[in-house]
Amino acid sequence: MPWKYPKGLSLLLALASAVLVLAPAQAQTPEVTAKVAVEKFELDNGMKFLLVKKPELSTVTAGWVAHVGSSNERPGITGLTHLFEHMMFKGTKTIGTKNITRDLQIIDEQEKLQEQIREIYEEQRARWRRGEIADPFAPAGRTPEQLELEKKFQALVDEQRSLMIKDEFSKQYTQAGGTGLNAFTNQDMTVYFISVPANKVELWFWLEADRLANLVLREFYSERDVVTEERRLRTESTPTGRQDEQFEAMFWNSHPYKWPVIGWPSDLKVISKAQAEDYYNTFYSPNNVTAVLVGNFDPAQVKSLAQKYFGSIPRGRKAPPPVVTLELPQVAEKRLKAECDCQPEVEVRYHTVGFGHKDSFAMDLLGALLSGRTGRLTKSLVNEKKIATHAGAGAEAQKWAGYFSFDAEPKGDATPEQLEQAWYGELKKVIDEPIPAEELQKIKNQIAGAAYRKLVSPFGLLVQLLISDGLGDWEAVNTDTARLLAVTADDIKRVAKTYLTPENRAVKVFTRRAGTAADPLAQDLAGIPDEMRPMIQAQLTKIKGLTDQAKIEQSLAQIAAGKGQAPADQKPVIELMEKALKARLAELKAAPPAQGGQH
Amino acid sequence: MKLRYLSVLAAAVLAFPALAAAPAPGIPPRPEQLVFPPFKFEVPKADPFKFKLANGATAYVSEDHSLPLVNISITFKVGAFLEPVEKVGLAGFTGALMRKGGAGARTAEDFDERADFLAAAVYAGIGDTSASVSLNALTFSLNPSLDLLFDMLTAPRFQQDRLDIEKGSTIEGLKQRNDSPQSIAGREWQWLLNGSKHFSSRPLTKTNVEKISREDLITFHKRFLRPENIVTLAISGDVNTKEILAELNRRFAAWKPDGKAEPIAWPPPAPDFQIKPGVYHVEKDINQGNVMIGHLTTTWKNPDHYALVLMNHILGSGGFTSRITKKIRSDEGLAYSAGSSFGLGTWWPGVFRAGFQTKSATVAFGAKLALAEIRRIQEQPVTDDELQVAKNAMIESFPRAWESKAAIVGTFAADDLVGRSHSYWEEYQKNLAKVTVADIQRVAKQYLKPDQVVFLVVGKWSEIEPGDPEKRANMKEFFGGQVTHLPVRDPLSLEPLP
Repeated sequence: MPWKYPKGLSLLLALASAVLVLAPAQAQTPEVTAKVAVEKFELDNGMKFLLVKKPELSTVTAGWVAHVGSSNERPGITGLTHLFEHMMFKGTKTIGTKNITRDLQIIDEQEKLQEQIREIYEEQRARWRRGEIADPFAPAGRTPEQLELEKKFQALVDEQRSLMIKDEFSKQYTQAGGTGLNAFTNQDMTVYFISVPANKVELWFWLEADRLANLVLREFYSERDVVTEERRLRTESTPTGRQDEQFEAMFWNSHPYKWPVIGWPSDLKVISKAQAEDYYNTFYSPNNVTAVLVGNFDPAQVKSLAQKYFGSIPRGRKAPPPVVTLELPQVAEKRLKAECDCQPEVEVRYHTVGFGHKDSFAMDLLGALLSGRTGRLTKSLVNEKKIATHAGAGAEAQKWAGYFSFDAEPKGDATPEQLEQAWYGELKKVIDEPIPAEELQKIKNQIAGAAYRKLVSPFGLLVQLLISDGLGDWEAVNTDTARLLAVTADDIKRVAKTYLTPENRAVKVFTRRAGTAADPLAQDLAGIPDEMRPMIQAQLTKIKGLTDQAKIEQSLAQIAAGKGQAPADQKPVIELMEKALKARLAELKAAPPAQGGQH
Repeated sequence: MKLRYLSVLAAAVLAFPALAAAPAPGIPPRPEQLVFPPFKFEVPKADPFKFKLANGATAYVSEDHSLPLVNISITFKVGAFLEPVEKVGLAGFTGALMRKGGAGARTAEDFDERADFLAAAVYAGIGDTSASVSLNALTFSLNPSLDLLFDMLTAPRFQQDRLDIEKGSTIEGLKQRNDSPQSIAGREWQWLLNGSKHFSSRPLTKTNVEKISREDLITFHKRFLRPENIVTLAISGDVNTKEILAELNRRFAAWKPDGKAEPIAWPPPAPDFQIKPGVYHVEKDINQGNVMIGHLTTTWKNPDHYALVLMNHILGSGGFTSRITKKIRSDEGLAYSAGSSFGLGTWWPGVFRAGFQTKSATVAFGAKLALAEIRRIQEQPVTDDELQVAKNAMIESFPRAWESKAAIVGTFAADDLVGRSHSYWEEYQKNLAKVTVADIQRVAKQYLKPDQVVFLVVGKWSEIEPGDPEKRANMKEFFGGQVTHLPVRDPLSLEPLP
């Protein structure tokens, strides 16, 4: 691949050429940018292909992006895009069953039972609204009728399993030496990928065209349970999962980015197979898909395989609808304060611009100026003021809208609020003071370096092309570097001033929930002999439960009086008790009156 | 032809196979009928890449001129195993501060600015049993970037204020050790399998961190980060082999062995610990249980390891085609991630671990299913098809590991560290191919011990213990209902909390 040097390297080159011994001839090469050579074609049905040939490889890494994400959902079916991604691995009319006729009959019988269960849930929700039950979906609260329906459903599942070839789709790839079979869903797109040995590229065409055209929504309801577990794993049992979800829901006023990709739990409980089919018919048409292949293949052969396998899939009946809701401009600051089992943290987030916006490049450079080992925030908050363990900022340009955010974690006694104020100080400096030329050049040198580094991994290249296409323009992979290098210091100051305003921000402050912090007494406990520890611990637990301040003060007075006479080996124990009592007393004194402690 | 026609009302028509998509002309009805051209692959031989530096160190060099980038990595037989017992964490801090504490004529601030200006990625790290320094640089600025690499290696300044910052951040990190169930489970698992005394599992505490001084770092660096302790260099990218070797020789000439190196006991010592099978639990108020079930295994030097990795591929590491994943995730929808790993140790036995996360009520049921799969692979032969899938998966994907020049020299360098002959790789595919169905059952019987497992669960015991409402399993079914409730630990000291 012919690569040339980006503009940003000019100063770097000037500096380095004095000491260059290894490639002196190359130093004279004129500028331009690192580019990936992409061959592009489109089938009659509207499906697009991007090819990057890498003959030195022994594999083909391939994938496709469906232009559908959670922002294409609506309340009631949140989480469906992601659930659908899971369904794409469950087989087709050919793959995954020994008897497609009976399999499809079973699926329809299952669907009728699920429809009745959904009706029960409708009643359960009504009972919940009237306050008759605490949780409409509690397993223990299922009606006898529902249990009966579930039993019938399970019998159908058992019959279906006897006909199934379990996870055959995955097996087809695995036994062919395919690696890294996976997919992801975000707000804007759904992406599927795999790497296969170079001689087996036709297998990719066979399996992918089959699942795009002949999918069967088999095991839809057990997969819905898997997704519910995924939600527990990623959102509900993580230190900040639920709080972060709430921040997202708060940050967006009107835009569908509000709801989580994994979906609201109450929607996941009642999403139907019919809704999934409707979604598939709307968004999984070839005209809504772009495929990318990176690796060792013959482009002419790949073109004919594309025509042969995907060419016969009909174009969708109507064009997939775009997301039309625009984010309502924010008019007042928003603030979320949460307590969690987590390290204290602050984030200040602003509404900015989406992918490809002319200001998005200056926003990226602003992020680079502030972040990283020698970024302004690390230098100021971490190294000089020593109030943070981490501080950074960056732009996130999504397909329909974007944001810029600052985030930091305090160190020692520093508070999230202190970091928030320090951020406003740094922001003011960007807006009010000149940005030194050398500092800007440093950032641009790094952008130039990144322009090469991002071409190193075939999988990385595949994902960049798929994501860029999913966001709206795959050519950004080749044009971004030049647009980033063209940003000026004035551009950076202008976007900071325009977008990063108080009424346009949302602030998230996390503090550690009382009782989950490191226990200062535990350090002292380390010095107590092993055999005494259980007794001491029992005592400490008792002390933590004390509520009578007068009684504690009395105990402390007794200890103070008797301490002098205690034998030397008991002194550490007595001192520990004293410390624990004092700590508890301070806690009680600091506690707000019983009525006023709500958040 | 998509599901457009499929609805509850239209179900009857679907009984007619005529409506199933007919393949386009030339497309075989089943993927098995595809015919693939042969693909020739030979494992690269090490010799063409192998060179000796003037100081005696081995260097593997592989040229790749497709991008103006150069990788250089230097590995040492140095690690936490060389730390004094009272200085837990010293090796890690030494590595971190080599990079972060300034070097040569540059303060930490200057060093960082220079590296960023050159767009060079400079790295130093000291792990349990190896240490490495490395550089990823643009060809144009290779030489000034090499200055940074060699300054960092030979003349680190270990600036006090940067050490203080690093210690502070480390302590903030320690505070988070109880926040996620995975972090609690990982720590306790290590201790249950290898004890808490071995250098690979002994706990880093606030007290340990506070004890480490700048002098300690200087001493550790001086004693161990020496040219005598280099195992290999791995170099790849936009270099000319002759020129880069000459350049490295020139630089190493100023950093010579001085005859004062102390002998390093190699390989590092193995843990001395007896595991105690049983159910262990750590309380955490979450709606999901994190489960790990397993025991110790063997090392990669054991010739049974080919059969063992294939056995585990079938049992739980082959993604959706493996038994535990199929059963727990795909059949029952109990977990998002479920599977097993069969770790082969380098110098001492590795760890076999089956694991999953599921809602509290189905922890016991999930565990019952996982243990049943372990017993089934011992009691019944796997099918020919299962073994063939596992073999193909590993044999056919093997060339991918040799795709990049950096991977080739990296593999050879790693061989030298662990004492593995390069010919191991030449025979690898053949050795996998030789494994039989009988071998799989034999190694499953010999190496899996479902009755002597450590069974660790992190979660809310009051919801986990009774099991599921369908009464498919409860926690009383394991080890006669005996359970050791491990204490919740103070995150800074790791002492049990009252």
